[in-house]
Amino acid sequence: MLKITNLNSGYGKLQVLYDLSIEAPGKGITVVVGPNGAGKTTLMSSIMGIAKVISGEILFEDVPIEGDLTHNLAKKGISYVPQMGNVFAELAVSDNLNMAGYLMTKEESKIKAEQMLEIFPVLKKFYARSAGTLSGGERRMLAIAMGLMKNPKLMLLDELSTDLAPIIAEKVMKEVARMRDELGITILMVEQMAKRALEIGDTAYLMVSGEVRYAGKADDLLHEPELCSMYLGIKAGSEDAIAEIEKPSTEGSE
Amino acid sequence: MTPWMASGLVYASGLALTAGSITLLFIVTRTFNFAVASMATFGFYVAYTGVALYGGLPYQYYPLVFLFGSFLGIVCYFGLNRHLLRRQAAEITLMMSTLGYDLLLLSFIQMYADYLTHSYGLFPRRVTLNTHDFELFGERAAAIILPVIAIGLLTLLHQFMTKTRFGVAMRATIENPVLAGASGINSDRVYMVSWIIAGGMATLGGAFMAMAMTGTPTMGMFTIPLMFAGAILGGLTSLYGGILGGFMIGMTEYAGVFYLSQQLGPWVLGYRMAIPLILMAATLLLFPRGLAGIPLGKIIEKRFGRKRGESA
Amino acid sequence: MTTDNKSYSNLGLKDFFLKREVMVIIVILALLTFLFASRGVNIILTIFIDFAVFAIITMSLNLETGYTGVPQFGRVAAVIIGAFAVGAIPGRIMAMFMGLPYGVEYASDTVNFRLVPEINQVLAGSWLISLGFLIFSLFIAAICGAAIGWLISRPAIRLKEGYLGISLLAFGDFFMWVGHNWNAMVGGSVPVSVPDPFRIFAGSRFMVIVLVIFVIAFLVFTYLQKLHRSPFGRSLRMIRDNDLSAGAAGKNIVSVRTQSLVIGAALAAVGGGLYVLYVGSAASIGFTKLTFTFWPWAFMMLGGIGSNIGVLLGVFVLVILRTMIVIFRSQWFGFLLQIGIDPLWLEFTLMGAVIIIVILFMPHGLVPEKVEPMLPKSRVRAVMERRRLAKEQGNQS
Ligand SMILES: Nc1ncnc2c1ncn2[C@@H]1O[C@H](COP(=O)(O)OP(=O)(O)OP(=O)(O)O)[C@@H](O)[C@H]1O
Ligand SMILES: [Mg+2]
Repeated sequence: MLKITNLNSGYGKLQVLYDLSIEAPGKGITVVVGPNGAGKTTLMSSIMGIAKVISGEILFEDVPIEGDLTHNLAKKGISYVPQMGNVFAELAVSDNLNMAGYLMTKEESKIKAEQMLEIFPVLKKFYARSAGTLSGGERRMLAIAMGLMKNPKLMLLDELSTDLAPIIAEKVMKEVARMRDELGITILMVEQMAKRALEIGDTAYLMVSGEVRYAGKADDLLHEPELCSMYLGIKAGSEDAIAEIEKPSTEGSE
Repeated sequence: MTPWMASGLVYASGLALTAGSITLLFIVTRTFNFAVASMATFGFYVAYTGVALYGGLPYQYYPLVFLFGSFLGIVCYFGLNRHLLRRQAAEITLMMSTLGYDLLLLSFIQMYADYLTHSYGLFPRRVTLNTHDFELFGERAAAIILPVIAIGLLTLLHQFMTKTRFGVAMRATIENPVLAGASGINSDRVYMVSWIIAGGMATLGGAFMAMAMTGTPTMGMFTIPLMFAGAILGGLTSLYGGILGGFMIGMTEYAGVFYLSQQLGPWVLGYRMAIPLILMAATLLLFPRGLAGIPLGKIIEKRFGRKRGESA
Repeated sequence: MTTDNKSYSNLGLKDFFLKREVMVIIVILALLTFLFASRGVNIILTIFIDFAVFAIITMSLNLETGYTGVPQFGRVAAVIIGAFAVGAIPGRIMAMFMGLPYGVEYASDTVNFRLVPEINQVLAGSWLISLGFLIFSLFIAAICGAAIGWLISRPAIRLKEGYLGISLLAFGDFFMWVGHNWNAMVGGSVPVSVPDPFRIFAGSRFMVIVLVIFVIAFLVFTYLQKLHRSPFGRSLRMIRDNDLSAGAAGKNIVSVRTQSLVIGAALAAVGGGLYVLYVGSAASIGFTKLTFTFWPWAFMMLGGIGSNIGVLLGVFVLVILRTMIVIFRSQWFGFLLQIGIDPLWLEFTLMGAVIIIVILFMPHGLVPEKVEPMLPKSRVRAVMERRRLAKEQGNQS
């Protein structure tokens, strides 16, 4: 579905990613984990044509997409929920959803927005308020709703669960798994809540300093004690998974 | 209305449109558009050509003036601005490129003025268009019509930006181009439309100003610092702020010159432009950082009932 | 980037740039020969004077914009102040010593046209007074320029990029208007004659002026090159390239920028003063932002922002082209004249086209700025060599 080979990219003169190769197979969840500043967000923005791709190849459905403009990628069916700036703070919530459905007809977009309000009933309350006045968690929910609305083939999710209460985070994770199982959407997600993400994920990559340090099955990464404790701050193979979900992972890169 | 108020209103309406044009382009494309100078002059010449060759009132040529400005805007966008935006050029480069365009336009204006003289025997280098005005309610019509047109245009723009899907998409792009792109909004089209609108506003503003001042081939070049001063005063964060800033600059200039020349004598007239510039310098000294620090834009927006988020 | 690599591996940085410079110089020489052959020596001297005056002004602009990163869109202000200082002050002082009227009436055209010839006679009599007059004129121009540079920098200096540019433009215009309107100083719209310190050379006056302006331009050039390499120059570049890290490194950004603006304005004012001495009168109408802000910008952009050699070449090429438009206007642009259009307007077309073409197709200009390494040359060479070796090894495997 999405195949990245030998990607070098960065911002201006600063190179962030080095010879990165990642594959997100169709109808599966690919999880990218790594310490802060590893370049996970840069990977996402390179795919979306925002960061500068220096060399390398990005294939989406076997068609090269590097150098495509962002809005064309959206048209091709890639939906992106950024880590930061993922809602239009100055627009009303309704307008935010309206914009998320920009590529559909007005009626379609309305129906979709209704569906989203079903999933995230909190948003109903704030429908006419501008998104900038929402709380961090409410904002993130709106962002997820906007990403889901687009009916994508591929979803890029950058740190979905950050800012969310554990219960909501768990709900969101379930929603992500449901998207794969019921809607057949391919998902590439970056998560700080590494443990939970790896549990629902199929494939996993560990990124450190702009390079891939581990690639393989998501379950297997959970059982790499050294990598897990060094970069993700989780005890590998521990049985009390529920307890881990409750507390967000530590962010230390040392 | 006293005479200074009448011509002040006319002049300030024109300045408001040009300052609004600068602000609009800046918030959408990060471009400080120098070319408003010659665009404004072109606006005057379109109106003048209409009146001089085909008769009638200047007002009836305003639609044409706006269209011509849009055309100039599109040319600048596709010929210049688009490539530089793609390249993520620095603010100064964007600004310089519009200066180059402005100089090209200026040379065309000068040649056009020569041509008018040669082929039609006109004297297009010093024109007082307001002799073609009529009286309305005992006032110069321009003092009433032009503010009304300006306010009408602003209302129309406001409706467009809040009620239509594309207008909302424009606001979305202004706020967050990345997310807008990821939502499938073609930023190219947003930039193009803003050049169309801003171009039209600039030329129309020039045609307005020529109803209060002498129209010359360098009138835009002469008043460009004031247009920028208006945009800066308005905070460069919202279109409405820009328009109000331009209006305030225009009115203070006229009011200030009127009172000061009564107090100090007519020599003040030569330094009339000092008044708005001192206003601008004061703004800069008081709010050196963002100029967004001036709550002007926000005040206006509150009036229009929009709440702002935490982003500046 | 690719050109850099090439030059490192086979030519060496220096040869590469030299080649480009040499090409431009050949074009300049060819054009000059052509003009000399068709119009004689006077046109060459005029070009030389224009070149030298604008070289000084454009280099001062390059100091502010190229070295420091301040978009100086108000260059005309310092030039006009320098010009008016020379128009107003030294002549008045001479008049004072000679017991002539030196107050407001000095500038009024009925008095001025009788005064200046008298002063000129004194100047023509003594080379010492002439030299003193010249030096004093330039000194006073520099002082006034520096003052205005400081004044303009006050409200603007803390601003960023575009804001800074348009504020400088506005304040530049403001001082331009003051110059145009302050009748008591230099007669406002009526040109005031300026005493002529070169009178003493009678027949060869023109030649001497060319020589003097050239020497001053050369001094400015060497001064700026030196400044560029000095610690102060390094601070300038550091601030230009990244003011955040420069601030973190303990540089006082505002004060360094202010210094740069003050020096730049003083140099530009000297340029304006020289121009006035050469023309022999200070006509405010002649000092517009088109000639003394936008043209220098076009020169600098064509030459290469940040590179003084480039700036000199850019000025030379464009001054020649400008002159050619003027002298060949009826021969080459007859078709325009036929519909009543004065080909002189093509000057603006040229200026606009140069700016646009440079921005779109050669953003670094004719002679790109040499990136002056912060490390000693030997270290840099060692590092480059190591990188090259590493690359070759990488390619082989
Ligand atoms: N717009 C930018 N311009 C310049 N450098 C950037 C930019 N965005 C990120 N960087 C740099 O690139 C590196 C990688 O950043 P990135 O945002 O990709 O990290 P990340 O893995 O997403 O980290 P986090 O887990 O904190 O979100 C960082 O060192 C960062 O400073
Ligand atoms: Mg990130």
